[in-house]
Amino acid sequence: MADAINTETKKFLCVSCPVGCALTVSVQGTKVIKAEGNTCKLGLKYAENEAANPLRTFTSTVRVDGASLPVCPVRSRTPLPLAKMFDVTREVAKLHAVAPVKMGQVLINDVCGTGTDIVASRSLG
Amino acid sequence: MARVRECGYYDIIVIGCGIVGAAIARDLSRYALKIAVIDKSSDLPSGASRANSSMLHGGFDDEPGLLKAKLCAKGNRMYRPLSEELDFKIRDCGSFVCAKGAEEEKHIEKLYEQGKANGVIGLEIVSGDKLREKEPNAAPDITAALWCSSGAIVNNFEATLAFIDNACQNGASLFTETEVTGLLFDDAGANISGVSTNRGNFRAPIVINAAGTYTDVISRMAGDDSFKIYPTRGEYFIFDRSAGNLVTSFLFSCPSALGKGITVARTADDNLLIGPTSVRQTDREDTGTTIPGLDEAFEGAKRLVPRIPRNMSITTFAGVRANIDIGDFCIKAADKPRGFVNVAGIKSPGFTSAPAIAEYVAEIIKDSFGGIVKLEKNPTFNPERKHIPRFSELSNEERAELARKDPKWGQIVCRCESVTEAQVVEAVRRGARTVMGVKMWVRPGMGRCQGGFCSPMVVEILARELGLSPLEITRQGGNSKLLTGMTKSPLLPEELS
Amino acid sequence: MNHNTREIDVAVIGGGPAGVAAAIAARENGAENVAVFERDREAGGILRQCIHPGFGLHTFGEELTGPEYMERFIKRAHEAGVEFSLNTMVFQMDEPLAENGGKTASFWTMNPDRGVERVKAKALVLAMGCRERPAGALGIAGDRPAGVYTAGTAQRFVNMEGFMPGTKAVIMGTGDIGLIMARRMMLEGAEVVAVFEIMPWVSGLRRNIAQCLDDFGIPYYLRHSVCELHGRERLEGVSVVEMDENRRPIEGSRKFIGCDTLLLAVGLIPENELSKMAGVKLDAMTNGPEVNEFLQTSAECVFAAGNVVVVYDLVDFVSEEGAKAGKSAALYALGKLSDGGREFRIETDSRIRIISPQKLTGGQDVTLYLRVGEPVEGKCELYAEHGLFSKTLRYARPGEMNEITLSAEKLQRLPADIKSIKIGLEVS
Repeated sequence: MADAINTETKKFLCVSCPVGCALTVSVQGTKVIKAEGNTCKLGLKYAENEAANPLRTFTSTVRVDGASLPVCPVRSRTPLPLAKMFDVTREVAKLHAVAPVKMGQVLINDVCGTGTDIVASRSLG
Repeated sequence: MARVRECGYYDIIVIGCGIVGAAIARDLSRYALKIAVIDKSSDLPSGASRANSSMLHGGFDDEPGLLKAKLCAKGNRMYRPLSEELDFKIRDCGSFVCAKGAEEEKHIEKLYEQGKANGVIGLEIVSGDKLREKEPNAAPDITAALWCSSGAIVNNFEATLAFIDNACQNGASLFTETEVTGLLFDDAGANISGVSTNRGNFRAPIVINAAGTYTDVISRMAGDDSFKIYPTRGEYFIFDRSAGNLVTSFLFSCPSALGKGITVARTADDNLLIGPTSVRQTDREDTGTTIPGLDEAFEGAKRLVPRIPRNMSITTFAGVRANIDIGDFCIKAADKPRGFVNVAGIKSPGFTSAPAIAEYVAEIIKDSFGGIVKLEKNPTFNPERKHIPRFSELSNEERAELARKDPKWGQIVCRCESVTEAQVVEAVRRGARTVMGVKMWVRPGMGRCQGGFCSPMVVEILARELGLSPLEITRQGGNSKLLTGMTKSPLLPEELS
Repeated sequence: MNHNTREIDVAVIGGGPAGVAAAIAARENGAENVAVFERDREAGGILRQCIHPGFGLHTFGEELTGPEYMERFIKRAHEAGVEFSLNTMVFQMDEPLAENGGKTASFWTMNPDRGVERVKAKALVLAMGCRERPAGALGIAGDRPAGVYTAGTAQRFVNMEGFMPGTKAVIMGTGDIGLIMARRMMLEGAEVVAVFEIMPWVSGLRRNIAQCLDDFGIPYYLRHSVCELHGRERLEGVSVVEMDENRRPIEGSRKFIGCDTLLLAVGLIPENELSKMAGVKLDAMTNGPEVNEFLQTSAECVFAAGNVVVVYDLVDFVSEEGAKAGKSAALYALGKLSDGGREFRIETDSRIRIISPQKLTGGQDVTLYLRVGEPVEGKCELYAEHGLFSKTLRYARPGEMNEITLSAEKLQRLPADIKSIKIGLEVS
């Protein structure tokens, strides 16, 4: 009985790919007991992350000097906590890159202690 | 008290640079006069000259004897040579007033007689079938129509700009974003001596009031409250060019007491235009469209051409006409103060009448104010001006030639209307200050994507040519800024943003 | 003469994902001179401003942003020997010329440095993409102030020029670009009040509802429409009404919502002005060229691919179709394109709103892309007549395309009197 009391049913929409499976997940605390509705194993992993700490790929732009465009698009190399999106944006806002920028070039290491880097997502001269 | 800025001495000040003010300025620029034209908007044309049916009426709508009947028929005849001299677009499409049933047929017969009395040429009453031979998409229940071969359609933006552009080439000065706040008098109010504006005082012994929906307000400043303007809104739809070929001529519904009724036309640039409605309002500036108004315009147009596809509309707009309570144009010199001329109530057929109004005003000045100014020939008057070349209408040889001289002719900014960077740059050089101003001059954003593709580029070019930040560029002056700041600036501490 | 004439094997109009993939495939299939004509200063098309992730999972097995996806493709194109004519606008298209016993495509370009040029190509791939439906098409009443943008225009300002189009936005329509822009505006420091959709369903991908709206607490309302704009200079607010089942405004439901920006994501329209000039037959439902399995249009030397044909959900499909069109164009240019000899028309039942291709010759295996008109929630059977295809779907929604694959072999085995193939959706 104790289990049943602590088990929560949560609904997530998997964003791992464009299919967008609707997941029904039984969660105890931050742990997934059961997941339904996913059509591949990415869904299960997504549910586990979503229950514990939702992660998203961060994308934005940085100001760049001396390039054909005033801003260069950037991304987090890997997904980072959704809760840190605005902190990361503020860090990125302070950044000023200088052309030429290469796609994949690291612009901020370990941004906001998330363990992932902010990299340029295009080359810009 | 701070001293009021003095903005110069002129022979004549024209208040308002709609088609009427512009035509007056251009006609007066034939004479050696120092002319100032002032207008409160950022870009021209504004007001009813921007938003109307752009129709050149034959001149059968108004009863013989009225000033507007005379000036309309005359204005119509003046437009073709003017379009050559001043290089604006006009299409001789002819017009039909469509009647459904005996009562309306009786009405078009009356119009026919009126037209003959007014000296309109090319009038003929035709059967519904005859109409549909020329206009196969016209409604099957139209029983007869009044054909008028001198009916035409004009590019109203180009025409207004052409008049003022030529006036300025011949020495007139244009002041935009200049709003009249009062009139100046001397000799205890016996004579007019100029206008006060937000920029300061402009001095002249003759002031012509061509302020459109504000003519009664200005007239009251001169102590004349003999007429009142009833701002009257008309709502329109514009459709994609691919719907333009639904008609070739200008189709009118049978007129009613309110106005000439809903029309369906192919514009000078081949879009389909329907409207206007006619609703009195108190606000002189409210050019918003309304849901009932648009429905009325559309339903009215469907009575003429049933298969208009509503989903091919690319935009809607409304204009406010300067309807007047005296049943005719009000064009006359005031007895007091001397030097003040009202050109008021220029509702439809105002656009058509404008060049004739201009000559009429010149006569008034000659007859009434000979003692104040002399109308001597301007020795350098050049009646001809060229519009900015229209890339979309050039041959490939001409396009290649222009692009070789200036690479900006090879940079297409608006793909719907085929507008090049060179045209936008030239529009700014000739006075366009806003996105709307550029659009009036050379049409970027007038097409089916309505600026989706070109507006970032037009903003960029305007900023560059005017030496401004893109953040300062407006859609249509005032507080109509297109952009609100740099990205992320709201997230940064103040010293960084 | 004021202009040069360039003669090439395969011309591709548009340097976005469809065009670049087509050009690569054309080179890989033996075409010698392959050139992409791109009106912008660089190739990449709309993906240059789609800086969000979600591209390339099919093609590269990882989630890329738009610029990353295109940079990889453009690099491949350069390696394959594709020539790029950038800053080059095709402003006039001729109907294909009858030359050397076949047809030749002919069009005119403008470039600031080279001026006007005429291009003659043995085969042409149309890859102009699509454009956004503007506000005018919706008949929204009211003022015409600054602050009303299509989502894509706003995306360009924000992602490529670093400017904010506004500080407080309402979004009309649940098209993907609108949803994506809701998140972008939030992350750049603006407020997004709400998203309104006139239909009873979402038109974009559901994951964009989750990660663009739900993640940021932005509400969305189905069966609601912006009906009037307020503000003479800059937008000051919009009026919104709720719609009933028949898409009629519900009386008394009108609300004023203060905002300085309205972004429109109300549909994409294939960009076919040039196709029309070429005399290519368009499909009334897709608004794109009618094509066969080679992505060949009614003008035999003209092929088409990507969103100019039909608006796809995923760029991966756009690239795949681009590659098919490029290959077909190369084979045509080399005189080696042979069709299957059959003439099938694709017909659809009433549940299916759009489908492409519309014609098949049985010349190669084909993927048909289709969209339903209204959502079917629950199991349904997607089928192609004559036992050609059948698949059980968990649901079918207008916002998510479905695919049908048909093998050339099976098509060829159909009796000679069969001229049409019906595609349908059976709801159980």
